[in-house]
Amino acid sequence: MSGVNFFGIRHLSPAGAFFLREFLDKTHPELVMIEAPSDFEDVAADIVRAETRPPFAVLAYTKSIPVRTILYPFAEYSPEYQAMLWCHENKIPFRFMDLPSETFLALSDERLRKAEEDECEDSGENTDENKPDVYEQIAEKSSDGSHETFWDRTLEQCADADAYQEGANLFGANIRTLSDENRYDEEETALRETYMRYVIRNEVKDGVSPERIVVVTGSYHVEGLKNWENEEILPELPVISSLHTLMPYSYYRLSTRSGYGAGNKAPAYYELIWDGLQKGDRLYAANAYLSKIAAKMREIGNAASSAQVIEALRLAESLAKMRGGLLPTLRDLRDAAQTCIGEGNFALISTAAADTEIGTRIGEIPEGVSRTSIQDDFYRELKELRLEKYRTIVAQDLKLDLRENIRVSSERSAFLDLNRSFFLHRLRILGLGFAQCVPSSQENATWAESWVVCWTPESEITLVESALKGDTVEIAASVSIKEAVEQAQSMSDIAKAIDDSFRCGMPSSAGYAISALQAAAVDAVSFEELAKTAFRLSRVISYGDIRKVDCSAVEPIMKQLYYRACLIMSNSCICNDDASRKIADAINMINSVELAQDCLETEDWIKALKEVSSRDDLNTKLSGLCTAILLERNEMTNEELKIEVSRRLSKGVPADLGAGWFEGLALKNRFGLIARLSLWESLDEFINSLDDEEFKRALVFLRRAFADFSSGEKDSVAENLGEIWGLNGAQVSETVNAPLDDASQQLLDELSGFDFDI
Amino acid sequence: MEKQDLRLPAEQLFAEELNALIKAETDPIPEGWRMSPRSVKTYICGGKVGETVITPKYIGHERLVEIAIATLVTDRALLLIGEPGTAKSWLSEHLTAAINGNSSRVIQGTAGTTEEQIRYSWNYAMLIANGPSEAAMLKSPVFTAMEDGAIARVEEISRCASEVQDTLISLLSEKRISVPELSLEVPAKKGFSIIATANTRDKGVNDMSAALKRRFNIVVLPAPETLEEEMNIVKTRVEQLSDNLDLNAALPKDAVIQKICTIFRELRNGETMDKKQKLKTPAGVLSTAEAISLLCNSMALAGSFGNGEISDEDIAAGLQGAVVKDSDKDSVAWKEYLENVMKKRGMAWSGLYNACRELNE
Repeated sequence: MSGVNFFGIRHLSPAGAFFLREFLDKTHPELVMIEAPSDFEDVAADIVRAETRPPFAVLAYTKSIPVRTILYPFAEYSPEYQAMLWCHENKIPFRFMDLPSETFLALSDERLRKAEEDECEDSGENTDENKPDVYEQIAEKSSDGSHETFWDRTLEQCADADAYQEGANLFGANIRTLSDENRYDEEETALRETYMRYVIRNEVKDGVSPERIVVVTGSYHVEGLKNWENEEILPELPVISSLHTLMPYSYYRLSTRSGYGAGNKAPAYYELIWDGLQKGDRLYAANAYLSKIAAKMREIGNAASSAQVIEALRLAESLAKMRGGLLPTLRDLRDAAQTCIGEGNFALISTAAADTEIGTRIGEIPEGVSRTSIQDDFYRELKELRLEKYRTIVAQDLKLDLRENIRVSSERSAFLDLNRSFFLHRLRILGLGFAQCVPSSQENATWAESWVVCWTPESEITLVESALKGDTVEIAASVSIKEAVEQAQSMSDIAKAIDDSFRCGMPSSAGYAISALQAAAVDAVSFEELAKTAFRLSRVISYGDIRKVDCSAVEPIMKQLYYRACLIMSNSCICNDDASRKIADAINMINSVELAQDCLETEDWIKALKEVSSRDDLNTKLSGLCTAILLERNEMTNEELKIEVSRRLSKGVPADLGAGWFEGLALKNRFGLIARLSLWESLDEFINSLDDEEFKRALVFLRRAFADFSSGEKDSVAENLGEIWGLNGAQVSETVNAPLDDASQQLLDELSGFDFDI
Repeated sequence: MEKQDLRLPAEQLFAEELNALIKAETDPIPEGWRMSPRSVKTYICGGKVGETVITPKYIGHERLVEIAIATLVTDRALLLIGEPGTAKSWLSEHLTAAINGNSSRVIQGTAGTTEEQIRYSWNYAMLIANGPSEAAMLKSPVFTAMEDGAIARVEEISRCASEVQDTLISLLSEKRISVPELSLEVPAKKGFSIIATANTRDKGVNDMSAALKRRFNIVVLPAPETLEEEMNIVKTRVEQLSDNLDLNAALPKDAVIQKICTIFRELRNGETMDKKQKLKTPAGVLSTAEAISLLCNSMALAGSFGNGEISDEDIAAGLQGAVVKDSDKDSVAWKEYLENVMKKRGMAWSGLYNACRELNE
């Protein structure tokens, strides 16, 4: 016998945690050794502090790119955590004995690189694929359908510490034989066990008697560590420079990670088992699980009676007995709840089951403990910007006025809100749920911003994960923007990144995005895309000075895009009516860009507009729109309009094209149109010149053109027509605005079926 | 020659298997049962006992079978719900056959089912002649099940009028039946329970009251999840049936079963197997049970009028009847399916396609 006490566990196992404490009480060792990266010992003191509440995790990450990470989550019922607590309470030292995290990261880096290379070579010889995973083998052999249920039914239900210890060690040994060959991480496991044996040997050499050591390790490793006494040479360990930090974790995240040790699917349920063990009531978890489901069902408005809970419990017990188990497993409970409470339909209880199995618990780390530098930076900024009072779980509104506050003396307080805005936008880029920007009620308000601020521990988790991107909030945000630019699918995505960088007050990352935009603009891009991008950039420039950032770098690229848009506009106007709507939006955007920015050549735009307006071979609606813009900008005289109208609406022009043109014309500046009597005269002539068949065609389009005229506008039109026809304007208006009678409605309905292809 | 029964009850048909299971029993047996819950499961889901091979009666979803059996262990009543043809009655028959060795305590729920049929009624000649007495009583299957501590079956419970359904409420909660005419109270013996079945297509006909539902553990039997599973079920059942019915035809080939199951599944789900094409669903149920009877029909056709080998024409005739149930809509859906899906499936399907088309000319 080796003398060292081995206690095999599963990493998240309530029974393991409970019996391990019993075992420690019984053996009262001098030293406890725990399977965790040896360099994590510096956070161990913080882990056992009373203010630390599980679930939490230790995250280790490489400093270089590509960033590799490993994560060690702990829950209340992690045997390792309970072992640490026990040692702390009994003033017994403990050691972490696994490979240091920098070695783990180096190994995983190597493996991932190799995997990437393999992918490139596309080697088809993946022998592992065909061999079932060892856990699948267990699932198959146990008839439980899953290895987790098997473990739950056998080990979590052990009656005492001896049974658990023996069972877990046997389980581990069996897994070793099942998976002896072809394990993908065989080498890594061998290295880990060599290292752990080495650490044990060293401790014994240092004078701790082997009988007084308890080793807490995954049950798989127990067999591998038993012959620790044999002297062997420790191979050189690869290392990669890395950092690690303690971070709060949540049950939700724990449940989304699958696989042995890394997580478990029903953390809240396992907590119930842990509570039950503490209370000495083994059936507690089953009772509590079903009662909680019933309570949740009632809370969301469904009926669920105590009688149903009792029946479900009886069913769960009899299901467990059919398999020879003592207590119901999670699967038994869930099936029983579905049958007795959910009327056989899982969908009915799914919300309640998710709530009961996963739960919403989030861990806590004492303030100031093992913060990453990005956390430090975050809290410093929070203090500096006087935002600390918003760090509560109650949502609060925050209104920012980005203008300089002239009533205060120092420059810092003068621009406090602006700096706050920069900071909050950076957090938004990082995906922190801390602050949500609310669309302002004042449209296009340049100086006001409204935020809803609410702190959740989930934000802290995201923040810690952002540490992978950089040491400060600013750096991390700029990395995020850079990533967004790299993954951008279209030019307007890049423009959004530019917009974002200015909102974050980071002109330097805008520079990167701008050059990416330049590169993208070289390729052929559609007119719409150009317009959207130019429009975004124009907004950046317009709001630039309120944010005190220099946008001069954006100007040249915007000019370039604008010029391109002017050049390709006319050709883009060859399109059908469906596509014309988008083009029309784009034309309006370019028009407003041109109006907003003085630096652009107005001539180019007018030329383009005139071309579209006068050409007959383009989409007539768009030609009409361009004519309307020219009118609005006073680039077209009444005389010219009159000529244009009679040309467009003359006899011989197909009725649908003429009406389409008018529809385009009516898209903009209606008052200008209404005021021009000559226009209505031409329209009147046009309609009079049509024969019956042509009139039917034209009617459909004209109706559409006038559909969104307000009744006031229709009044004015009617007045014009009255004038032309020599009638009383009010009478005409009454007729025009009167609702349709059934007969005319029917006639119009018939028209909707009109086949324009003939 | 003595005429054979058309259809034997499960306990006679599988007597050998049941006896083997009872003989080899090692686990504790609940009161009133003939074998342990685990053996019941083996009987239903298949396995091996000593030398005897137990044929699977219900394929797929073993867990549901487990839940059903566990429910009966707890003296709760069991309600099996599902689309038509998802083996509800089949499962309930086999459960009672295994647990009691008697699957004949059945009440068939219909619109005409009365309260008396669920409780008891009288032999009126005797009633008038001798007055009420136990001898003049006609006990319902539920009554006898209570007396014997056995399981009674109520088929298609949702087809009964609600007041008739509600009769079951007091029986299930009090677990005793009273006969006021004789001032008699008969308590149920241990082992008494009820297995009811209900059809989801009948929903709304006579919806079950919440009070009654609460007295049942409800197990929903789904349509087979995968094509393979459905093929497996069809194959097993067709084999069993053809022995029984002396169909004189060769068993259908796997390719034929696959075609039938594919057509049924696609029309049932309203989309093709690759999910690329939406389809109209005909009004008919197109259940697994129907696929089974379709194949048996085709075998009968082949055996009686053909060369003993199922031909495409035999299947086409059956398909036409199964898919096009009443309205013109079904016929449209079927024709569209033929032209848009089946025609494009290539050589392997062309024989069947042509045969189906001829019927639709």
